[in-house]
Amino acid sequence: MSFNIKEWIFTTDHKRVGVLYLIGSIAAFGVAGIAAMLMRIELSTLGPTITTNPTQYNVWLYAHGAVMILGFQIPALTGFFANYCIPLMIGAKDVAFPRVNALSVWLFYVGIILALLTFVVPDPPDVMWTGYPPYSTITTGNTALYSFTVLVLGFASIIGGVNFLTTVAYMRAPGLKWSNLNIFVWCTLGAFVLQLIFVPVLGTAVTLISFDKYLGTHFFDPSRGGDVLTYQNLFWFYSHPAVYVIFLPFIGVVYEIVATFAKNRVFNHKVVLWGGIGGIVILSGEVWVHHLYVSGMADWIRIGQMVTTLLISIPVGLLVISLAGTLYKGSITFETPMLYALGVLFLFLIGGLTGIPLALTSLTLHLSDTYYVVGHFHYVMAVAGTFAIFGGVYYWFPKITGRMYNERWGKIGFWLTFVGVNIVFWIMMTVGVKGMPRRYYDYSAFPQFESAHQWMTLGAAILGVGFLIAVANWIIGAMKGAPAGDNPWRSQSLEWTTVSPPPHGNWPSPPSVDPDWTPYSYERR
Amino acid sequence: MHTENTAPGGRVSATAAAWAGGCAAWLAAASALAYEPASAAPGRINDPAAGWDHLWHEVIVDITIIGVIFALVMAWFLWRYRARKPGEVGTQSKLSPAAVIGWAVIPTFIFMADDFYLAANGWKLWNDYRDVPADRMEVKLESGMYSWDYTYANGVRTQNVLRVPAGKPVMLRMTSRDTLHSHFIPDFRVKEDSMPGRVTYLWFYPKAPGEHVVSCAEYCGVMHSYMAGKIIVMPEGEFKTWLDQEVAKLAPADKAVDKSAEKTADKPANPPV
Amino acid sequence: MSHEVGAVHGDHGHGAHWEWSMWPAVASLGILALALAFSFHFVYHQSFTAVITLGIGVVMVLAGVAGWTSEAMGHGEGLSFGAMGWFILAEAMIFVSFLGSYWFLRLGAPFWPPENTPEIPKVLPIIMTFVLVGSSFTMHHAEALLHQGNQAGFRTWLIITLAMGAAFLGMSAYEWNHLIHGGFSISTNVYGTFFFSITGFHGGHVIVGLSIFLAGLPSALRGQAEPGFWRTAGLYWHFVDIIWFFVVSQIYFW
Ligand code: HEO
Ligand code: HEM
Ligand SMILES: [Cu+2]
Repeated sequence: MSFNIKEWIFTTDHKRVGVLYLIGSIAAFGVAGIAAMLMRIELSTLGPTITTNPTQYNVWLYAHGAVMILGFQIPALTGFFANYCIPLMIGAKDVAFPRVNALSVWLFYVGIILALLTFVVPDPPDVMWTGYPPYSTITTGNTALYSFTVLVLGFASIIGGVNFLTTVAYMRAPGLKWSNLNIFVWCTLGAFVLQLIFVPVLGTAVTLISFDKYLGTHFFDPSRGGDVLTYQNLFWFYSHPAVYVIFLPFIGVVYEIVATFAKNRVFNHKVVLWGGIGGIVILSGEVWVHHLYVSGMADWIRIGQMVTTLLISIPVGLLVISLAGTLYKGSITFETPMLYALGVLFLFLIGGLTGIPLALTSLTLHLSDTYYVVGHFHYVMAVAGTFAIFGGVYYWFPKITGRMYNERWGKIGFWLTFVGVNIVFWIMMTVGVKGMPRRYYDYSAFPQFESAHQWMTLGAAILGVGFLIAVANWIIGAMKGAPAGDNPWRSQSLEWTTVSPPPHGNWPSPPSVDPDWTPYSYERR
Repeated sequence: MHTENTAPGGRVSATAAAWAGGCAAWLAAASALAYEPASAAPGRINDPAAGWDHLWHEVIVDITIIGVIFALVMAWFLWRYRARKPGEVGTQSKLSPAAVIGWAVIPTFIFMADDFYLAANGWKLWNDYRDVPADRMEVKLESGMYSWDYTYANGVRTQNVLRVPAGKPVMLRMTSRDTLHSHFIPDFRVKEDSMPGRVTYLWFYPKAPGEHVVSCAEYCGVMHSYMAGKIIVMPEGEFKTWLDQEVAKLAPADKAVDKSAEKTADKPANPPV
Repeated sequence: MSHEVGAVHGDHGHGAHWEWSMWPAVASLGILALALAFSFHFVYHQSFTAVITLGIGVVMVLAGVAGWTSEAMGHGEGLSFGAMGWFILAEAMIFVSFLGSYWFLRLGAPFWPPENTPEIPKVLPIIMTFVLVGSSFTMHHAEALLHQGNQAGFRTWLIITLAMGAAFLGMSAYEWNHLIHGGFSISTNVYGTFFFSITGFHGGHVIVGLSIFLAGLPSALRGQAEPGFWRTAGLYWHFVDIIWFFVVSQIYFW
């Protein structure tokens, strides 16, 4: 196949746009991962270790948090997977607006360039990924870079969302009913609806801190009648739903993998759509105050949102039941993608259930802003989210490249990461309960935690090696893996019915499906 | 406005609070900015720190049971339904309409029951955190980059070290002169942010003499991790002696200044608390 | 640049031609330059570099938009109306955030408006409201004519709509000028902050709406107005007008 560089980087084809998203987000993961390793090394001894400048640590932490969420997980899930899979899964030749799609991936690159400038500009931003004023409006760090990173990435995501909602509404293959769409498609649409509703709120919030800092406004300045809590409300009004923007697509990926490797019907398909995904979309806008439990919000709203937060366990629980039920009477095999998906299934339990104590306002008066919180969200994002992304890349790898990765190294990489993440993030939660505050460059006030921190650094090294092996496996597999065939997993889903890798336009002739077809009907074969 | 100090945790009131919280969110949040601590009846002290340990234990048992059940079921399925020969497919049949509904409604109610149980307990403990005993010592705290500045009722000021008598509940009324900070006392299981323009509060119950770490738990700038202090709990008599000595050191003018400061802090002019 | 939207290529993509367009990249890099210009000016105080980057950014964004429009005009897939609905949802949320923050502050404030707020004249906003709402009706009428195939009538009413939009902007500029000269600006107090940012933000939307009209104007003048495009443009215009009700009622009259 001839390789035409401008048909790659200026592409408007959804698959190539998807691959560009993948490359960018994995690169972002690498850089943010290096920042994480630097932090872990810094924390391996009490007092200064590799830098004597606290701002240096704070900049790593800022870059790590912001890039992991905004530059890695959201783009990988709603950029790469959505782009690559949705048109193929609905039997479309491309998305509704291919040029808008190209704009979205280019803006994504602009966004990560802005984020990565953190490492080279003078006075880099040190406002943490939350960017709370008043600090963000008085720091000498470059808060504008933070604002623009968020705005550009947010805009990229919004136009992506508009594009995909339109695509699925109008471009489904003949005969493909809404209710028979892949669960991944449903999950991603849910995530896009959340993005469309809530990203603008975040955009407003970060714009206003730059206004306050550079243009002399007083949104968050109490001395002129402003209020610092306004920002926190706006920020979490988006950023809580954002965790479901991550959760929904990743659980969608897990559904595809589990159904394929169990060769089984999805348990209680309808309830997944309406109870699970629908429930999460509806509830996710009413719980943001659980991030403000110690911030001085009025008592009654803390109580109200304690209840709504707890109720989120219902739709999420329905999803977990359905995933477990999909294993029931299956015929299960354990290739690398399935190992990652099962990793999500087990470790998300830990992550999700440790959110329950945090949901209780009173327990959070002790737990908030400690390593317990850091442990909780790493279990749900860094572990469950990343495993789902890695599993998904392995799963669709033969489709994307037409080649096979190395199964043995895939498994070795998985187990190393699995061991590593549990060492790091379990210990995080335990020291957190004992009082270790987050965002500490130096924990001299808590010398008793030094050995725990050393174990965490060790665990981080192990998991880092695991991730490196996975990425190396993809690169080598893409270049010289064995030909994989069109449907190596014998999946029923539409994306596997075309050739691997799919040509421009996806199908030689556009597919159509029977009304009683579903992506998970295995027993009919 | 504050949560009424009624018997906590009724199911109905919990649901009602949920809906109230969800629906009227923005508007309501705005109208409820003003809140004041409720005072518990004299002589009644529910130590939140002890309550915290108790509830924590209960919740951990609760979620561990849930987690273990799910994990065991999944592990069993993985073992039982592993593929035996190549080319096999799963044999799960389609759920009947009744089963679809059953598998939605029954788990929903089980989970909801657990949620309300947890919410009720959480709310109960929350009331302990928010009902400050009437018989208390009040100290004002102004936090700043990077120190904790305490002012006692009689005008005595200290920095980064708060001395308190054993056996008496202590309440802090907090504000900040620059960025956000959070006064975190791990040993007393409590923290609350302080910020410019508003006054927040927290209380704790030091029972026995000893020393406790205070650390800042809300990212406040470059030296955030060095913003540590301590609380020294002294026997009642010793504390009195110490306080009297400090008062004696105060210039008369300072005392007067502090009286006026006290008044404004109760009803800060702008914006309201 | 290729235009074969929808061409389905044969087996295995061998030698097949993949579509591409460089205009999204040009526009994106322009946005990067704009972001950098902001930092150069406000953070690093290097005004010369800032002006250069600003210039580059503006040129690239405009080139991107122009290139894109000329490449894609007339090749629309007819789905833009539905997409605009979703986009408007996102836009509306920005106004919700502004107004939500405004209520949050306002309802918690001890007195309102804060000190140093002058009396804001109330007559002009009422006239502005009539003009803007009127332009929604004229636009609607224009669309209806276009639907009947009456290109000339459409053209007339479109130009009337444009003029009304421009008049609205003019009045807004007059009012701002008046207030700022009276000593009331975005940094006077938190009311000024909200007043100028919300009305300014709404004005920005009016400008975007007018720009969409201008982008389609050449073809309309040639008598080749495309109903799909104008239906979408009209939807956006109606949205801008409806939002104004919220702005005017909350900011001026409450
Ligand atoms: C993908 C990301 C993700 C996900 C899915 C979640 C899921 C949840 N989170 Fe977490 N979170 C995420 C990411 C974060 N959370 C955070 C912080 C955070 C805080 C604030 C802590 C603080 O700062 O003081 C609370 C209260 C929660 C609660 C919850 C709850 C209740 C859930 C629920 O959705 C979990 C539901 C799942 C469950 C419960 C398990 C499965 C259900 C079963 C088995 C059914 C039966 C269970 C019961 C009846 C209990 N989270 C932060 C910190 C941000 C920062 O400050 O920087 C991040 C990034
Ligand atoms: C790969 C291994 C990872 C390691 C070893 C790691 C380690 C860390 C460490 C040490 C901190 C700082 C804690 C503190 O000082 O408060 C941190 C913070 C954070 N991490 Fe990770 N992390 C990893 C992966 C991830 C991933 C994949 C994500 C995201 C999706 C993520 C998201 C975050 C966030 C949001 C923060 C908080 C930043 C802040 O406080 O502003 N991390 N991580
Ligand atoms: Cu949350």
